[in-house]
Amino acid sequence: MSRDGIAGLICLALSIGLLVLSRGLPQSSFVPVGPDFYPRIVLVIMAVLSVMLLASDLWRQRTQSADADAGAEPAPEKRNYRLVGLTFAVFAGYVVLLPLLGYRLATFLFMVVLQAVIDPPRGARRWVMVMVSAFASAAITYAIFDHYLSVLLPRGHWTGW
Amino acid sequence: MLHLKYLVPLFLGTLVGLIGGALPGVTITMTIIIVLPFTFGLDPLQGLATMTGVYVGGSAGGAITAALIGIPGTPSAITTTFDGFPMTQKGQPGRAVWLGIWSSFLGGLLGGVFLIGATGPLAAIALEFGPWEYFSLFVFALSMVAGLTEASLLKGLLSGAIGLAITIIGSDPIMSVPRFTLGTEFLRNGFPFLPVLIGIFAFAQLMTDIEKMSAADRTSAPIKAPPLTVSHLKVLWEILSRPFLLLWSTLVGIVIGVLPAIGGSAATVMAYDQAKKFSRHPERFGKGNPEGIIASEASCNANVGGSLVTIMAFGIPGDAVTAVMLGAMTIHGIQSGPLFVSQHPQIAYGIYAAYLLAHPLMVLICALGAGLFLRVVTVPKSILIPNVLVLCVIGAYALNNIMDDVVVLLLFGLIGYALVKLRFPLAPLILGLILGDQIEVNLLRAIMSDANPWLFVTRPISGLLLALSVASVIFALWQHRRQKGRAKEVEQEPDF
Repeated sequence: MSRDGIAGLICLALSIGLLVLSRGLPQSSFVPVGPDFYPRIVLVIMAVLSVMLLASDLWRQRTQSADADAGAEPAPEKRNYRLVGLTFAVFAGYVVLLPLLGYRLATFLFMVVLQAVIDPPRGARRWVMVMVSAFASAAITYAIFDHYLSVLLPRGHWTGW
Repeated sequence: MLHLKYLVPLFLGTLVGLIGGALPGVTITMTIIIVLPFTFGLDPLQGLATMTGVYVGGSAGGAITAALIGIPGTPSAITTTFDGFPMTQKGQPGRAVWLGIWSSFLGGLLGGVFLIGATGPLAAIALEFGPWEYFSLFVFALSMVAGLTEASLLKGLLSGAIGLAITIIGSDPIMSVPRFTLGTEFLRNGFPFLPVLIGIFAFAQLMTDIEKMSAADRTSAPIKAPPLTVSHLKVLWEILSRPFLLLWSTLVGIVIGVLPAIGGSAATVMAYDQAKKFSRHPERFGKGNPEGIIASEASCNANVGGSLVTIMAFGIPGDAVTAVMLGAMTIHGIQSGPLFVSQHPQIAYGIYAAYLLAHPLMVLICALGAGLFLRVVTVPKSILIPNVLVLCVIGAYALNNIMDDVVVLLLFGLIGYALVKLRFPLAPLILGLILGDQIEVNLLRAIMSDANPWLFVTRPISGLLLALSVASVIFALWQHRRQKGRAKEVEQEPDF
């Protein structure tokens, strides 16, 4: 099964799951259509499209396997998925730490870690540059938003700061 | 608008737009997402003036790097590289850049004439619409966008359906019954629009860049800007002596801009293609032909005018940038749509003025330091990406000052990236997300006014729009079938 088939399966599962949940929605005698009317239309359309995507993928797989000797696919461009995973993980850590450490400290740490992940510093000088740019980003954004634009950025539960 | 209170945000917006537009890998959508949190503390017109400046500046900024280093700053500037860069290689960097900037200026101003002239009459037509017509209009917009995507029609339609499905979460619009909220208070109002939008676009773009990153890409060597001295009168004459090319490219840009959620790159590619077809010397295209630059850049900025018309007259975003602007409007309590111009005349005329003023400001900023943008382009990605993510967090958090919005940002960041990897087009999803509530409200209003479902078909405008929806899907089916034999599906880069 290719990516289309997987996408079709996920969307189908989601639409069926929500359709089942929609059965529990309360009805009202005051209005001709209930709160489940529109969601069901959308979810049925989504389910039908998902089935069509899944079916077209399975059909394509069958016809492609029949033409398997047509020639090898060109090698795909190399992608750095490890770095993507690490970036998401560091960002998720930032989201968790933000309310605990507060904006200033969490942003400084996030900037240091993500810079180090994307471009690992070699030597003390590079580390100093990473620290300085992380500090500058946290301080400047805090000053602009918290002081000038009146956006109350998160304070830390642990640090109170 | 001439007051400093508005001129300063407009100037800064145009400057940031030019820089963001010139930065390869940072699109106009990304720039406007970065700028968004800065506008929360401003009054509505200041905020919208800033965003208009970003939009205009960003549309022109892409040409600078496209012409000088052969890398388009934004996807819409791709066609500028075809002739701009060869012209630079021939030793005429100033001519290449300024042909782009002046064409953007002229195309943008002509787009402005359309913006001012067409918004009112189109909004007046839309005022006559009942819920049946609105429902059908939104369905038409959605079907057209799904059909026009490069990916498969099925995926385009499914992407739109996912967008609609996101909007069914939260209270229903009639009785406020919570739906699919899993008992959480936070989801009673549904997913907040801007964190969803920022998450989908920012992460889809940044992670796509990150996954292609090699060690060499992480740091950039400084680029020395070549001298950009040129006779402006000569360049202007070069453009104005081709009035048909300028007007036709502008028209293409406007029309593509008016069509919902298609975006600037479709406009520039189409205008470039048309210019080549109409040219007496099509063989010169791709070798430093000024006509290629004029067509590309004039259509790019005219596209901005067209997009603004659709959002101001109908409340339907012309592209991702106007989708963010629409979100920003709702934060300030402004409902776009046919009543927008009559209910908020100061803001509507303010946007017109900001749009027109942003063009000379863009020329002025470029005259002062177009070459300096090349230095900014060399900001290492290891610094750029974390900073963009921090601004995305502020943009999501500052809406309601709650961390739940940041969690939504992360969740939809993951979803956006997954959709890109599954080769789903994002434009239909965003349009579904924006129009979902309106489609439901108008459908329910229509049914509650008259339960006869045939009214959707028998009312002339509604029937016509639904027929056009069907026609657009059939046309897309035919077009996809025709193209199927020509090229296999390859991993498309998302067009933001």
